[in-house]
Amino acid sequence: MTAASRAEVAVVACAELFRGDGEIVASPMALIPAIGARLARLTFEPDLLLSDGEAYLLDTEGRVEGWQPFKKVLDVVVPHGKRHVVMGASQLDRFGNQNISAIGEHAHPKRQLLGVRGAPGNTVNNRTSYWVPRHGTRVFTPAVDVVSGVGHDNAAKAGQAATRFHDLHRVVTDLAVLDFSGPEHTMRLVSVHPGVSVADVVERTGFELDTSAVTSTRLPDHDELRLIREVLDPAGSREREVAA
Amino acid sequence: MAEIVSLADAVAELVRDGDVVALEGFTHLIPVAAGHEIIRQRRRDLTLVRMTPDIVYDQLIGAGCARKLIFSWGGNPGVGSLHRFRDAVQNGWPEPLEIEEHSHAGMANRYVAGASGLPFAVLRGYTGTDLASVTSTIKQITCPFTGERLAAVPAINADVSIIHAQRADRAGNVQLWGLVGVQKEAVLAAKRSLVTVEEVVDELEPVDGGIVLPSWAVTRVAEVPGGAHPSYAQGYSERDNGYYAEWDPISRDRAEFEKWLERTRTTGVPA
Repeated sequence: MTAASRAEVAVVACAELFRGDGEIVASPMALIPAIGARLARLTFEPDLLLSDGEAYLLDTEGRVEGWQPFKKVLDVVVPHGKRHVVMGASQLDRFGNQNISAIGEHAHPKRQLLGVRGAPGNTVNNRTSYWVPRHGTRVFTPAVDVVSGVGHDNAAKAGQAATRFHDLHRVVTDLAVLDFSGPEHTMRLVSVHPGVSVADVVERTGFELDTSAVTSTRLPDHDELRLIREVLDPAGSREREVAA
Repeated sequence: MAEIVSLADAVAELVRDGDVVALEGFTHLIPVAAGHEIIRQRRRDLTLVRMTPDIVYDQLIGAGCARKLIFSWGGNPGVGSLHRFRDAVQNGWPEPLEIEEHSHAGMANRYVAGASGLPFAVLRGYTGTDLASVTSTIKQITCPFTGERLAAVPAINADVSIIHAQRADRAGNVQLWGLVGVQKEAVLAAKRSLVTVEEVVDELEPVDGGIVLPSWAVTRVAEVPGGAHPSYAQGYSERDNGYYAEWDPISRDRAEFEKWLERTRTTGVPA
């Protein structure tokens, strides 16, 4: 079997996001985290529940195993922390504040984005991770324009209603894995993907990163590579989400 | 009691310039034909409400029907951005578009409050975000029992809510099934409502997971087969994925869009 591609390393890093989650709903909002969630379920997280993003819970082969329309999600799942959402981010700062609303001033934006969607509720109600397919200074900015998903500093300022279930887990990118265990819950570089240096990540991050204890992102094992290539994504769509 | 009329008559009667109008429908049952009729009748200054504005709102905005949008996500599902929406917000073309941005939960709860006859809904989300500083309809409230600080959002009671459903009976009772979003709440909350249906039948046979909106909750029903196209109506039609992809280049280019608009205004009501 040929060596793992960057996209396949990212899939496994996304699968690792769900390690230890148990029987909760995984809500990955992009392809690579979705393959990662299914890989986690097929290997080390067999109880993980997979949503189709609309109304069904599916097994890894796409068979329906539950009915969960979004009103049920809002009533039953989100307010009880029974979910791990992996969102994208147009901007993300060192405290984990995320912007998916607008670039520039909200009333007169330079770039109108798709909107805050579930981010305000997700981030204060259940575990949240981020997936950034192109790690760069446009995304990793010193300050975001419109806080849509809540970071650690803003959660602390807002008090108990925000901090009670606030649980920013990790950020996976095409270059690295990061978490929020730096000083004052700021972003820390956890690991760099094979072929990526710490300097590469620092250069493409627009704020100071804690790089005191960086390891290498683990490679997919033989069984994981087989599952990714033959079962979960035989068409190779993952390679279009991340540059090789 | 709902009266069964033509789509053109229903829109002419129910949708007025300056109205707050909600077109709801989630993934399927999106009332697109009704949106096109609003464009043909050249309504203006509408405040459009929808949890997830997609192509039909891009078209209404590009046609100059709207002055404001209340929403939580605006995009072309599976394709990308809504370029008419972005052009209106960023460049004021063809009209400036004010936006009132909420979260999904905020929007859903606003409809539930409206349908329940309550003035506002309360939720934990929004805390710690910038939304309260950019959206005037998000206020802080203190729980009188626990002291917790929470967000309050006002009920949505649209002047007219429009949805598409599978079928109605001749008395105007409406039945819909499959993925259902906030259509029930949007209709119950509204001052007036229009439901376009795939067909009018003598009797509504029960369907698993289906809901019925009683005739007394609906103002007008119009029979519009295919009225959700390019979205689908479960049990009646398939999603036209090609249309969503083809919309992107039309939406990106003002001239292409104006050609589309001219075609839409000159063609009649869909058969």
